[in-house]
Amino acid sequence: MKLLVSCLLLGFIAFASQAQSKLTIRGVVKDTTNNPLDYTSVLLLSPKDSALVTYTLTNEDGEFQFKNVERQPLLIKATYMGYLPVQKELVLPETGDLDVDEIQLMPILQELYEVVVKAAKAPLMMRGDTLEYDASKFKVPPGATLEELLRKLPGIQIDKDGNIVAQGEQVQKVTVDGRRFFGGNTKMATQNLNAESVSKLQLYDDKSEQSKLTGVEDGVKEKTLNVELKEDARKGGFGKLSAALGTDGRWTANASFNKFDKVNQFSVIGYGNNVNQSGLSWDDLQEFKGSGAFQFGDTGDFGFNGRGGSNYISFSGGDNEESFEIPFNNLNSGYSNNQAIGVNYNYLKDKKDFNSNYFFSRSDQSMESFNSRTNFLQDNTSFTSTDQSSQNNMAGHHRVNLRFQNELDSANTITINVKGRLSSLNTYLASHQELIRSSTEQSQMDRNNSSDKWSGAFQGTAIYRHKFKKNGRNFAASISDTYSKADQNGVQKSVVDLMNSTDPNTYFRNLDQLNQALSGANLIKSSLLFVEPIKKIFFWETFYNFSQSQSETNRQVYDVESSDTQELNPDLSRFFENTITYNRFGSSIRYANKGSNLSLGLAASNYQLNGQFSVLKDSEILGRVNKSYLNFTPNLTYSKTMKGNKRLSAGYNMGVNPPSISDLQPYKDISNPLYIREGNPDLEPQVSHSFNTGYSMYDPISFINLRVSFNSTFYQNQVVQNQTIDPETFVTTYKAGNVSGGQRFNPYLGFGFPIVKTKASAYLYANPSYTKSLALINSVETETQTNGNNFGLNLNLTPLEWFSLYTGSSFRLSKTKYEQNPSRNQDIINWSAYSNMNIKFPKDFYLDVKFNYNRYKNESFGFDQEVPILNAFVYKLLGKAKKWEVRLSAYDVFKQNQTISQYAGQNYVSSGRIETLSRYFLLGVTYNMRGVEVKNRR
Amino acid sequence: MKLKYLKILILVLISTGLKAQNIVGEVEYRYRIFYDKIYSSLPHITEQEKDRIQLTWSNPEGYSTRMKLQFWPEKSIYTFGEPYEVRSYSWQVKDYLIQNNLEDQTYLKYMDQMGKTYIVRDSLNAPKWRVMNEIRDILGHMCMKAVAEDSLKGQKITAWFASDIPIPTGPEEQFGLPGLILAYDINDGMLIVEAEKITFGEPEEIISLPKRMRGREVSGTEYHDIARKFIQTSIESRRAWMWEIRY
Repeated sequence: MKLLVSCLLLGFIAFASQAQSKLTIRGVVKDTTNNPLDYTSVLLLSPKDSALVTYTLTNEDGEFQFKNVERQPLLIKATYMGYLPVQKELVLPETGDLDVDEIQLMPILQELYEVVVKAAKAPLMMRGDTLEYDASKFKVPPGATLEELLRKLPGIQIDKDGNIVAQGEQVQKVTVDGRRFFGGNTKMATQNLNAESVSKLQLYDDKSEQSKLTGVEDGVKEKTLNVELKEDARKGGFGKLSAALGTDGRWTANASFNKFDKVNQFSVIGYGNNVNQSGLSWDDLQEFKGSGAFQFGDTGDFGFNGRGGSNYISFSGGDNEESFEIPFNNLNSGYSNNQAIGVNYNYLKDKKDFNSNYFFSRSDQSMESFNSRTNFLQDNTSFTSTDQSSQNNMAGHHRVNLRFQNELDSANTITINVKGRLSSLNTYLASHQELIRSSTEQSQMDRNNSSDKWSGAFQGTAIYRHKFKKNGRNFAASISDTYSKADQNGVQKSVVDLMNSTDPNTYFRNLDQLNQALSGANLIKSSLLFVEPIKKIFFWETFYNFSQSQSETNRQVYDVESSDTQELNPDLSRFFENTITYNRFGSSIRYANKGSNLSLGLAASNYQLNGQFSVLKDSEILGRVNKSYLNFTPNLTYSKTMKGNKRLSAGYNMGVNPPSISDLQPYKDISNPLYIREGNPDLEPQVSHSFNTGYSMYDPISFINLRVSFNSTFYQNQVVQNQTIDPETFVTTYKAGNVSGGQRFNPYLGFGFPIVKTKASAYLYANPSYTKSLALINSVETETQTNGNNFGLNLNLTPLEWFSLYTGSSFRLSKTKYEQNPSRNQDIINWSAYSNMNIKFPKDFYLDVKFNYNRYKNESFGFDQEVPILNAFVYKLLGKAKKWEVRLSAYDVFKQNQTISQYAGQNYVSSGRIETLSRYFLLGVTYNMRGVEVKNRR
Repeated sequence: MKLKYLKILILVLISTGLKAQNIVGEVEYRYRIFYDKIYSSLPHITEQEKDRIQLTWSNPEGYSTRMKLQFWPEKSIYTFGEPYEVRSYSWQVKDYLIQNNLEDQTYLKYMDQMGKTYIVRDSLNAPKWRVMNEIRDILGHMCMKAVAEDSLKGQKITAWFASDIPIPTGPEEQFGLPGLILAYDINDGMLIVEAEKITFGEPEEIISLPKRMRGREVSGTEYHDIARKFIQTSIESRRAWMWEIRY
């Protein structure tokens, strides 16, 4: 109680003393002609930081009044449209109120206001008596000099001799960033400085040089123009260089350099190694391509997807021959020697966007592999073939990518893409094959194949997009052409070991052949799209697609009878000429509003397949294909994005895939005598009905995320390869056929949650799968069902700033059931675990340990292989800016590396193993102009 | 104390308002955000990553959204405007509505932030504005420069207010200057909000609050705490908080 009273008392005293210190400030605002200015804002500011204390407006007589203002140092400021704001310090009386002297506002020089503030939108800054503004806001042509800029500025003239006259007086000197420029020669400065590099201009009266030197005020003022130059922002460059040497002659080296500004981006990159890296890292690829790194939607295909499967952008980085793309994140199997070099240049100006690059990569790979395949026969017996081979592949790829996009105006955009590639491939294969029928019946063959191939391709795409005046009405058209050519020459030799063979010539054959293949293809595509909005939430889309591919293959096989006689083999030599024409017209109605999207569409598509073949180009035609298929394909997609980062989606898609011409051609392909292919002219196109649903959510506060999806596909007239196996010779004959009833189900469930927020999190997932496939095997319909059971768990631990551990495991059990032959059912297990640990020690020492464990198991064959790989890296950053790094790397410490594959097919099981580069150590140095990046967190 | 001043000011405005037509109207703002610059400024981004961002996905034009502010002497309402481009795909438009009641100095924010809908009510508490000696023209209005700091989001705010539109409000969460804020900028160009069109007089279609506002009711201080914690954990776990909180 006592306390309360004293508090109240204290409060009263405080209030009383405060009341005493309050005052009223009054005044009047007028213009230079003594007219009162009403409706003028008057502000009281704190002089130490210009903080706003309070404000008011003047009345009709230009009067203002602030009541109950605290007695403290104050600035008064008045501002009125078209007048220069006035600011002055108030001198407060010890007691009583304050009547401020009349505040007079000066109109802003009309020319200055109109030209600088309004037209050029340059803020005008008042610094005491001088006015300063941002001259860079004035538009001048590129390359213009400062003089040209000055001519545009109000109150400044340039006389015929090039002298600057400002406010009627000649400018005596020009300074740049406050420093005198070229001995005070004003013309020198104005005629040489680039207007684009100027940021600010200040015009003021400076003391004379004389008085500056002597320190004696002589009253002489010199009109001075100070030019402030722009900081070269957005300009940069960086380079990285890294090299390492190791045990067993292992080495690796990378170098890259980038230079860029607002308009130009230039980069070069190169690498070389014998440690199987045959592509750029993802980060290096981005840096190399610059603004061209993320350019999607350049294919020019419009309308909903109609070929089955889903539309997605795939990120595969392999260095494969058919691809125009620069390889990345690619690790070879076996042993390889790799080199690459690339140059990229981008030009970005206004609405023009140009990207270009050239990339050359080559790889010399040698591989020792062992493959085994067990085929099941009708009568519950089986035979196994094994293949031990040694391969040498030498590949070189030149790739050029050009992209130009120009937004002609707000309504029209064109995009042009040009891609080219040129590849050479030399392969050499030596293999030893064995056929094991039983422990007593075996045969063997040794093969020697080699081939040289040249191939090249060119692709040009142009896309035009137009936006109509009516918002939402759009038109787009695209045209593209892809031309490719390949020339291959090869030698095939095989020698059969007769010693242990019962009937060698049926399965293995002696061969000595030369083959030549010349192939060419041209694909022309065009698409049109028109979108009409209806009431902003409905859209009517209409599209048309056309494509025609023409291809020609000329393959000639010669039997080498003796060293100088070669005879054309008419059974193996073929000339094909095929044309596929595709037309599709479709329309859909789309509803798009508040996160809900529903689209309902229908398209009519027509495939025309025409082909013919003969032994040689102009010889008698042995077979023709003339097929035309018409299909109507409906399409439905729905998605809803909801509050709280939740998303729901569902869809139905009907895909139509025409059979390939080679499956239609009525002839036997016996180029591989063990696997004969036979065409089927009665094939119908494969129709797939795909249903997909999905739900995802993410809560940014709790970090909980959930993903559920279910995709299923049902096949009608699925094109499958029916097989007939000769029980005596084991020769398999494939003949394409249509079968209905194939199915595929892919559910997915994923759940991520934090264990300790920001320190530990977990992600659990399960994606079982079910596939039912049907095929005729020896004229019996065989059903194969594969149940995939895949579960996994990932744990991310980042408990401390200097420690992180990412670990996880996945288990996959593939159960393959053969309806007609249950004793052959297969259980294939793939079990894997990984663990990445990063530790940061004091003094910029780091340790990364990566452990990967894989186990491959198939009990029915007693196959059980473990591959534990341990990699460890110790590195230290050096220098103040951490531009240097020294790194010791140990790869595959347990010397266990090999590449394993397992597969259970319709009537066979296969497994493969490739000997791959194992244990080695590297010691290396890295220099990065930007400072070495440490990636210890994901 | 300040409240009293403002009340007087509003009274003055209403009485002198007959002369001034500039006290009721609608402003369309272009909200331009530069995610590349914002992302580059996050503490865990290395120099090399900054270069990579600038090279690969920098967008000198920024991403634009049209916003709309309606104002009267006693209140202002701010929300999304008509989209610039009618698109045949609709991403979810989150709710974002701010109502400033200038008469009783309170605000109401109805917004989807951090994955939830919040209804925030509290009294208006103007930041410490510092008025600078610089003027600029926006759509024919002479605007004066003022700067402030937002310690929560680590932002330097540069605002331009028109003293001839004497309504102390503005776009987004900016208010409290002796005139309508016609433009503001965060951290020298990470976000630029600028008036594109001003129409004086009673707006044709007044922005209405949703009939049923569902969300978590919190006070300004509570919301501030939630946001502060969120930003802190985001920075600790190296996530970009501005995907979830309006910058």
